[in-house]
Amino acid sequence: MPSIELEGVYKIFGDEPEEALELIDKGASKTEVREETGHVIGVQDITFKIKNNELFVIMGLSGSGKSTLLRCVNRLVEPTKGRITLHSDGKDYDITSAEKEELREIRETQVSMVFQNFALFPHRTVLDNVGFGLEIQGISKEERERKSQELIEVVGLEGFGDSYPSQLSGGMQQRVGLARGLATGAEVLLMDEPFSALDPLIKVEMQDELLDLMENMQRTILFVTHDLDEALKVGDRITIMDGGKMVQKGVPEEIIVNPKTEYVADFVENADPSDVLRAETVAEKDFRVDEENRVKLDQLTEVEVNDEGEVVKGYISGAPVSLRPIDEYERIEEDALLFSSPETPISEIMKARLAYTSHPVVVLKNNEFIGFVGEKNILQGLLEKGRQGSSS
Amino acid sequence: MNLGDEMKRIVKMPGKSLKGFLNKSMEYGGAMSKFNSSIEKVFGLVLGTLGWVFLYPLTVSARVGTPLIELPAKPAPIPLDEWTVAVVDWLNLNISPLFDFIQLVLNTINEAILAAIQWIPIFVVTVAGLDIRFPLWSLILFFLLWYLSGQITTGLLGFITLWLAANFGLYVETTETFSLTLTSAFIAISLGIPSGILAAISDTVDNMIRPVLDLMQTMPVFVYLIPAVLFFGLGAAPGAVATVIFAYPPSVRLTNLGIREVPQELVEAGEAFGCNYLQLLLKVQIPVARPSIMAGVNQSIMLALSMAVVAALIGAGGLGGEVVRGIQRMRVGQGFVAGLSVVFTAMILDRATSNIGAREE
Repeated sequence: MPSIELEGVYKIFGDEPEEALELIDKGASKTEVREETGHVIGVQDITFKIKNNELFVIMGLSGSGKSTLLRCVNRLVEPTKGRITLHSDGKDYDITSAEKEELREIRETQVSMVFQNFALFPHRTVLDNVGFGLEIQGISKEERERKSQELIEVVGLEGFGDSYPSQLSGGMQQRVGLARGLATGAEVLLMDEPFSALDPLIKVEMQDELLDLMENMQRTILFVTHDLDEALKVGDRITIMDGGKMVQKGVPEEIIVNPKTEYVADFVENADPSDVLRAETVAEKDFRVDEENRVKLDQLTEVEVNDEGEVVKGYISGAPVSLRPIDEYERIEEDALLFSSPETPISEIMKARLAYTSHPVVVLKNNEFIGFVGEKNILQGLLEKGRQGSSS
Repeated sequence: MNLGDEMKRIVKMPGKSLKGFLNKSMEYGGAMSKFNSSIEKVFGLVLGTLGWVFLYPLTVSARVGTPLIELPAKPAPIPLDEWTVAVVDWLNLNISPLFDFIQLVLNTINEAILAAIQWIPIFVVTVAGLDIRFPLWSLILFFLLWYLSGQITTGLLGFITLWLAANFGLYVETTETFSLTLTSAFIAISLGIPSGILAAISDTVDNMIRPVLDLMQTMPVFVYLIPAVLFFGLGAAPGAVATVIFAYPPSVRLTNLGIREVPQELVEAGEAFGCNYLQLLLKVQIPVARPSIMAGVNQSIMLALSMAVVAALIGAGGLGGEVVRGIQRMRVGQGFVAGLSVVFTAMILDRATSNIGAREE
């Protein structure tokens, strides 16, 4: 059950970082530190915890320190200050203070890595590339080839075991990189912009496959990217970095809905929010129950709620209709009102409205009526990224 | 001494060449043609005057026969030559057993390789009164080069070149050159690759070794021959030493360069999977640098060949010996045939070693 904890991690590039640290404590900016001491701040005061089986995304533009931070976790970059702890297999590893041999062991068995430009060894076949970590672990040739073969199949590269990396396309190469990262059995996977070097179509395909893979494999992933859409898609939680500092952390929707700084707002401005915004966020919750226990959704539709707040019946133009779950809309023949859960992304609601009915969708939370999503709510949500909805 | 004429000549010369230059410019910028004469006059006058001022003392001194710079001939204030002699003498007196040992080792390796080469028989077939030679090595080279390069034409090249050299009447000399080259290259490479690895690992070693390599490569090759003879006598051993010195740098440089240029991400990948220092070197850096290292090996062998020929000046024999004799006796044919055989040898060695690095991928 691995999880990783970072506490006040700093990385200063230069020979005498103490001086720079002092300046930072006094509140000096990145530029001031560079001008006064010639030291460059890589990352500054990073604290967060990655939970077991979580896919945690570090996002930022180039130079924001995201790759540096990632490399601090396996100490390819030596952190200047702070603590990084790894809890894995019931053991606690203090990565920052680990001696050379212990660190080597952590890298060998606990934490593996996938690289932006794949970093495959050109002199090794696909099979030998995948088995590299196992070879370092000292596992016998047959065992290692058996395991590698398994992973080659998992990433969908059957039959390419004897090829050399130069004979493969970019997407295939990164599959090898992924298989190599998974092969060691390490439960923590560091991914440094793994899909950034790929074509857009291949990139989406790889993202989907990563998500599929992670459903079957127990891995805790730290994923670095500069692509917000990618972050929103794969991330369970996202942290956004700017100039070495962590500016915001949260689940994808929080980032979209509540950008904390101008920087984040600029970032999310061009993101497609429809997959991220949830029904609950955009729903109209300001409704009135009349004396007949009915709530008017729009001109034509009404729902009847009982005392527990459960929806008893729906009405279209005064005629009673049943309520059906939104994911069944393709199979419904008769008139009905759709309901969704609070977590349903509004893209689903939009699809259903387009294909089945333009009536508002009822939002139920544990069977309780909490609001409804009409056209106005969707548009408002998309335009304002739900800011109003969530603040009410 | 007709100073006036001399002056006129000197003054006129720059003007004349300038005219040519200006005419050329005029062709490109036709509009300027009307200024031709006046520009010519101004430039001619200025340059002519300058030329006269600077060149006059030279012409005068040349005529009178007195050198412009006259310095006492001996002793030089920094008698490096004498110091060198002192050092060489001291070495020769005090550690000559070491030199004797090295000489023995080199001679033994060289003779062993030569014996191995010459152990493969050469057949002589008399056809129409000509003793035509068929060295079995030709056939071996044919298959070897074919295998190494993957091309049958390269194999044929190996076959034909050696067959030609043998039938030029230089088979024995060719084998001698081969063995001296291989001996020296073997030693140069087995010292050079480890040095290159050390230089790649440590900047200090790199900074120390770099000027030594520069010295080795820029010092005129003949200069090594003198101390080599003093320390190791005449024959193959001093030739091998001089050749090793000459052939050593490329192995070092290209090994060093190759390892240093291994992409950072690959080194990180090695580290990220828990390689220790040695594993990183052996499983990542050296294999990735292999093409570059093999280019260094190839270079070392080619330089070894060129020096093995020059080493004939101190009695190393082989094809170089033929060339030297050709020079001494002004025998154009002998020199040319031997020189051509050297080229053939070079082709064989180059084809045999240049593809090794690239072959597998």
